Amino acid sequence: MSASLSKGINAFKEVIDAPIASYFSSCVHCGLCADACLFYNETGEAKYTPIHKLEPLRRVWKQEYTLLGKLGKLLGLSKPVTDAELTEWEPLVYDSCTMCGRCSMVCPVGNDITYMIRKMREGMSASGHAPEDMIAATTRAVNIGSPMGVKWPAVLAQIKHVQAETGIEVPVEKAGADYLVLMSSMEIINFPEYLSALCRIFKQTGVSWTLAQDAFEATNSGIQIGASDLAREIVSRIVVAAERLKVKCVISPECGHAFTALRWEGPNLVGKPYSFDVKHILEVLDELHKAGKLKTKGKDSRPLTYHDPCQIARRGGVVEQPRRLLGEVAADFREMPDAGVMNWCCGGGGGVSANTRAEPLRLQAFKVKKRQLEATGANTLVTACANCRIVLEEGLEHYHMNIPVVGLTEIIAEHLVEGE
Amino acid sequence: MTINNDSEFKSALGNLPRAGQRQVAARFAENVLALSKDARVKNAIGTAKRTDITEDELTAAFASAKKASVDSFTQCGTECDWGSQAGHFVARAALACLQPVRPGDSPAWDAAMHARMARTCEGIASGRGTDNAEATVQYRILDKFLSGE
Repeated sequence: MSASLSKGINAFKEVIDAPIASYFSSCVHCGLCADACLFYNETGEAKYTPIHKLEPLRRVWKQEYTLLGKLGKLLGLSKPVTDAELTEWEPLVYDSCTMCGRCSMVCPVGNDITYMIRKMREGMSASGHAPEDMIAATTRAVNIGSPMGVKWPAVLAQIKHVQAETGIEVPVEKAGADYLVLMSSMEIINFPEYLSALCRIFKQTGVSWTLAQDAFEATNSGIQIGASDLAREIVSRIVVAAERLKVKCVISPECGHAFTALRWEGPNLVGKPYSFDVKHILEVLDELHKAGKLKTKGKDSRPLTYHDPCQIARRGGVVEQPRRLLGEVAADFREMPDAGVMNWCCGGGGGVSANTRAEPLRLQAFKVKKRQLEATGANTLVTACANCRIVLEEGLEHYHMNIPVVGLTEIIAEHLVEGE
Repeated sequence: MTINNDSEFKSALGNLPRAGQRQVAARFAENVLALSKDARVKNAIGTAKRTDITEDELTAAFASAKKASVDSFTQCGTECDWGSQAGHFVARAALACLQPVRPGDSPAWDAAMHARMARTCEGIASGRGTDNAEATVQYRILDKFLSGE
């Protein structure tokens, strides 16, 4: 579908639902969201105030759905949103917002500004004001099944590699398995150690699991770019595979937005409740540990800290599980200031890391993570999102900090009691 | 002793001292070096192979290999170029040769696995498929190393 200003304005009108109307009408212009924003905090530039990023959407709401706004529009006192304005706003909506949700946490009237940005991206995308890199990623996700162009033969290659490395068979298309495992393209391409760790953990715990040939990819770039129809298509593939294989639970991988898309937005996108559970891998590992199935030995003596991925902790509620798991394998775990639900974003979520032109701003915003890390004195950084992991690696390299970044699932696998 | 499978391979690597692990790891990385265009990776592998390396040189080579590894990650949302990704895994193999070793670490095994991933990526990029003889080649490299060649 070709994009145009009129399509974008229509999309704005369509996304203004009851929550968004009430959020705009109840905003008290206090500016607290500014202090919560990574990009405002590190640049001091007023344009990065989260509620300001929504100004075109606010104008459409006022002109179309309020009495004074309608009168103003009729009398020519209120100017319509223009293509030039949307061009100006594009970097504010895509480059300087990771949809991390910190602004939503501090809003004194309870406005979910992140939800509003997500909805605003629908209109930006429909009007042709989405970053080229993100459009290309979403097109690949729809046409190929993966935003990074990963096809099943590449997954098979990784399966073969992991089977040789671990000596454990990776189950594929196994009907009736308890768990359907998803991966992100990032894990398939950059981190074969994730699948390797899962194989070892699931062997030790006796878990029944499978991969699906037509639904291996968890990343949902439709959510990031703001295209609900595409997001629905991506979620639908997973739902179809899970129902076909009759699994009890789908495991979202170490990927932030995949979890948000599948766990929280998925049922609304496909218009029905799931017939299966959706859990993040850390939730599954924590459950296995609590049930006494996941057994570890020894502790990592390095001072280490944990970066909470925004979509998993703040937007997803998975906060205590990683800490319980780390408690089992880390002798010197150190919390960052603002850890947990108020953790600072790595700077690359919400499609920002896929957006090349945003890189200088992203690296500038990384200074807050640098300060958080320095405050702990930790020399190892653990996280549970493959995108965070690379963004963190780049930030650390940029600021000459020699701190290895490790996936939590991998560190658990390193400490498994095996061979008993 | 002739190594014929991964079990024997892993066991033999595990018996090597740190310097031996580093030197044989560098040979595994060197065998896939043609898949990398990064001069930093070549230099790092060359450094790792030396028997007279100092701690300062190790640290500097590690930093250089780390930078090459981070620079060559395929970014989230970017279309994967499997040829370039092969280069990334060569950089990670080089990094494994040089990383500080903790108890339980097996840098030579890690380097071997990254080198195999590099070869797999090359197979995907070329369309030849992912069957390759890298593991067998690594067995022979280790045989030669253990026999002092």
